[in-house]
Amino acid sequence: MSTAEYEPTTEYESTAHYESDVTVLEEQFVEPKSVGPIELESQDVSVWFGKRKVLEGVNIAFPKNTVTALIGPSGCGKSTYIRTLNRLHELIPGAALAGSVLYEGKDIYDTDIDPVHIRLQIGMVFQKPNPFPSMTIRGNVLSGLKLSGMKRDQHDDIVEETLTSAGLWNEVKDRLDSAAGELSGGQQQRLVIARALAVQPHVLLMDEPCSALDPTSTLKIEETVRELSKDITIVIVTHNMQQAVRVSDYTAFFLAAENEPGYVIEQGPTTDIFGSPQDQRTLDYVNGRFG
Amino acid sequence: MTQVLDREQIAEWSAQKPQRPWTKKPARLQAWIAVAALLPAALVALIFMYTDIPGPILLVAVYFPLQLLAAGIAAVATKGRQGAADSVIIVLAVGATLFSFIILTSVLGSLIARGLEALWGEDGFRSSFLFQNNVYINPSTPLEYGGLGHAVIGTLMIVLIASLIAVPIGIATAIYITEVRGRAVPYVRFFVQAMSGIPSIVAGLFILTVLIVSGAMNQSAFAGGLAYAILMLPTVARTAEEVLRLIPEELRTGALALGSTRARVVLRVVIPAAKTGVITAIILGVARVIGETAPLLLTSLKSDQTILNPIADPIAALPTYIFDNVALPYPGAVTRAWGAALVLMILVLILFTLARILGRDRLNRFR
Amino acid sequence: MAAPPTETRRDLDAAATSHRGDRVFNRGITVAAFTALLVLAGIAIFLGVAAVEAITTQGWSFLFTTEWKVDQGDEPVAGIWGMLYGSVLLSVIGLVIAVPVSLLLSVFIVFLAPRRLGRAMTNVIDLMAAIPSIILGLWAFYLLSPPAEQWQFLLNKYLGWIPIFQNDSGNFNGTPFIAGFVLGIMMIPIITSVSREVLGRTPPELINAAEALGCSLWTMLRHVALPYGRGGIVGGIMLGLGRALGETIAIFFVLKLVYDINWYKIIESEGGSVATLIVATFGEVSGPYELNLLLAAGFFLFVGTLVVNVIANLIVQKTGRSER
Repeated sequence: MSTAEYEPTTEYESTAHYESDVTVLEEQFVEPKSVGPIELESQDVSVWFGKRKVLEGVNIAFPKNTVTALIGPSGCGKSTYIRTLNRLHELIPGAALAGSVLYEGKDIYDTDIDPVHIRLQIGMVFQKPNPFPSMTIRGNVLSGLKLSGMKRDQHDDIVEETLTSAGLWNEVKDRLDSAAGELSGGQQQRLVIARALAVQPHVLLMDEPCSALDPTSTLKIEETVRELSKDITIVIVTHNMQQAVRVSDYTAFFLAAENEPGYVIEQGPTTDIFGSPQDQRTLDYVNGRFG
Repeated sequence: MTQVLDREQIAEWSAQKPQRPWTKKPARLQAWIAVAALLPAALVALIFMYTDIPGPILLVAVYFPLQLLAAGIAAVATKGRQGAADSVIIVLAVGATLFSFIILTSVLGSLIARGLEALWGEDGFRSSFLFQNNVYINPSTPLEYGGLGHAVIGTLMIVLIASLIAVPIGIATAIYITEVRGRAVPYVRFFVQAMSGIPSIVAGLFILTVLIVSGAMNQSAFAGGLAYAILMLPTVARTAEEVLRLIPEELRTGALALGSTRARVVLRVVIPAAKTGVITAIILGVARVIGETAPLLLTSLKSDQTILNPIADPIAALPTYIFDNVALPYPGAVTRAWGAALVLMILVLILFTLARILGRDRLNRFR
Repeated sequence: MAAPPTETRRDLDAAATSHRGDRVFNRGITVAAFTALLVLAGIAIFLGVAAVEAITTQGWSFLFTTEWKVDQGDEPVAGIWGMLYGSVLLSVIGLVIAVPVSLLLSVFIVFLAPRRLGRAMTNVIDLMAAIPSIILGLWAFYLLSPPAEQWQFLLNKYLGWIPIFQNDSGNFNGTPFIAGFVLGIMMIPIITSVSREVLGRTPPELINAAEALGCSLWTMLRHVALPYGRGGIVGGIMLGLGRALGETIAIFFVLKLVYDINWYKIIESEGGSVATLIVATFGEVSGPYELNLLLAAGFFLFVGTLVVNVIANLIVQKTGRSER
């Protein structure tokens, strides 16, 4: 496919309704929740690394207590985008951005906003599990409290509560004081989720949380995500389209042509993106014709 | 038609033994190597027995050229012209290795042999040499009396003072380079490198002018410690920088994503994860300075007594104790110097081994 | 391509530290990080003042003459030319011994020795670097000097017609040769550790390519490994040189200091070294003026070693970066 075909436009030329041949059962779809208040929203966000512009004009709204999946081929800027949502993007030298990210209606990039405060409310789980090697399992869960200087009482309850929400409690309750490095990859990832939950974030960003895990662990984490979305807003980057179908209420499809910034080609309720996409490229992608 | 695995062949294969045909050398080559290695040695041994040319001369002027020639001939005979250059390199490289090995053995051997004279008398191990000081001792006093206890205390004090100053600053410098990543990183690294080239005598002169010539204080453990700190700082900073670099970036972003401040990321996550490495950096810093003599000759002078006040009086340390005793023209004093040198070397060896063990641990951690 | 409406680029470098506690932390760390500069500047200023005074009272002859009469007569005369030259001469002798030995050692460790032996030797050589200079000085005085006098006697006897092996006094102790030999031993571990690393980083695909072409060890070294590691090796040699120029104690007991210049007679009992001069004279310094002269000598030693060391580090760094 030539790059010219992917010249992104703000208004999609194609309005034809394609019949999807994606083989997912209707029951698999999550019933999208009624749209609540918008918790997090990016307005016209463009992102640069030095001189290179990697994303352009991203407008996505994340309603409260929903799961939004960001899909698209690698290198299209999904991971970069998700890192702008809690100000981790700025840690990269030469990083720049345009537009604004509104959290509860306020721009998180305002000069008088403390990034530490933002990251406390908008937690993140990374591709590779990254528990702190020098701490125990319990220590890792509580590390967020220690590191952010947050005061919460009844530590034992927090440990049990968050590990239960992360679906790890039964596996580790007898060895909370052993080193975090002894856990398997999937367990480590759920530990990291528990760690992020301990500081009670309102939003949880997940950057391909299952890409390094086996199918069983992946399923467990997906269950966890569904469970968590009752109380918090989740944004999840994923390569696995079945996963997007299984866990998300809304989906945004990112695409970038070579040496050009990425755009959101199509977004909307997950059922629509996978069931009746409006754009040929979305259709091709969700059917696995490229990417 | 496809071929199907023949079950009977499996038994045949399972009986196979692993072999390394490439390790076998042809008999002719082996013979040449044996002759080329033995002949010159035998010849030189004969010359050594029947003439009175001194050994080292014979080794350098006769054996070495002879061995080169023999290896060259053997190489040309077995591998052609190209092999000759290789054989010369091999002989020279082995020669260089032996040379270094002989020097090191000579240094350590003499240290042990002469040092034990001070530490080990007819009555067995002389703990007095380790624990007594030098008061009432003159160069002709028997070795049963007096020792370097005061110098050991002095060295420990000076090194402790130096560490208290250089370790925090050195680690802070490393943190600036790897964690804060300010705009001046290239300059800071440059200055640290330049600082590591300061000759120890210059560090001593600097402290001498700033503290002592100016009248601010006496020659003392503190002045010596400051001079040591100048020499120690670059070692600590550079090693700590290397160690902090090994900490995976995900740990830092992970902690930041939890709403941690950068200061807490450094103090609670990065430094604990790099703990053994940071300790290694400190040990290497101590090992770098513990034997330095020149700066102490200017800044802490010497003393025969056990001094416990770090800021008021001149104080003895192991290196200066050695220096002063070598300069005395009495065999007893010289033996004391060797004893002190042995003690100093043992200290250095302990630090060196510790750093190695911790260093290995540190490397294995994230790989 | 339609651009999104708001396109004001917001650079985020400054935003990274907008937390107040972090700003304090960063500032503290930054201040500490500049200690190295502070010390370098302090040395340059304090010793520089002494150097300026020495030059104003003695003129440039402080650097270019060889007399040192400070406590006798009314007009003190001092010149460190002999010492400056001596420092260089000793270092050159050291280099002549250390460079070939170090290069061969690293070739042996990297290309010839079995892995385990190589690793053991690396440890042994690092241990050599850890020997305090006072211990090396002790060894040089009691164990190296006596046989070395014998070697020099024979050298003079048979090769005395070569100018550098001249000796008019018949005295063979305290010669530049012995002191240079000790400096060479000190330099071996420094140069070896750098060149070993550089040679060890020769890309294996280049070595394999050379081997596939039927190169011998020598041709591989000449055409692949040495050109590849040249910069790093030169840098390592300069690092060793910087160390040798400033070394004091290891040669203190085995060098007979004379203020006169000894141009080339390396086995004559006359030598010079700025660093050793400072220690030797400090013990019997006649007064503040002479002490000031020593500080001035220290300043020139500092500048010399700093220049050598900076060049060495730039070379090592450059080669380190180019292959990344």
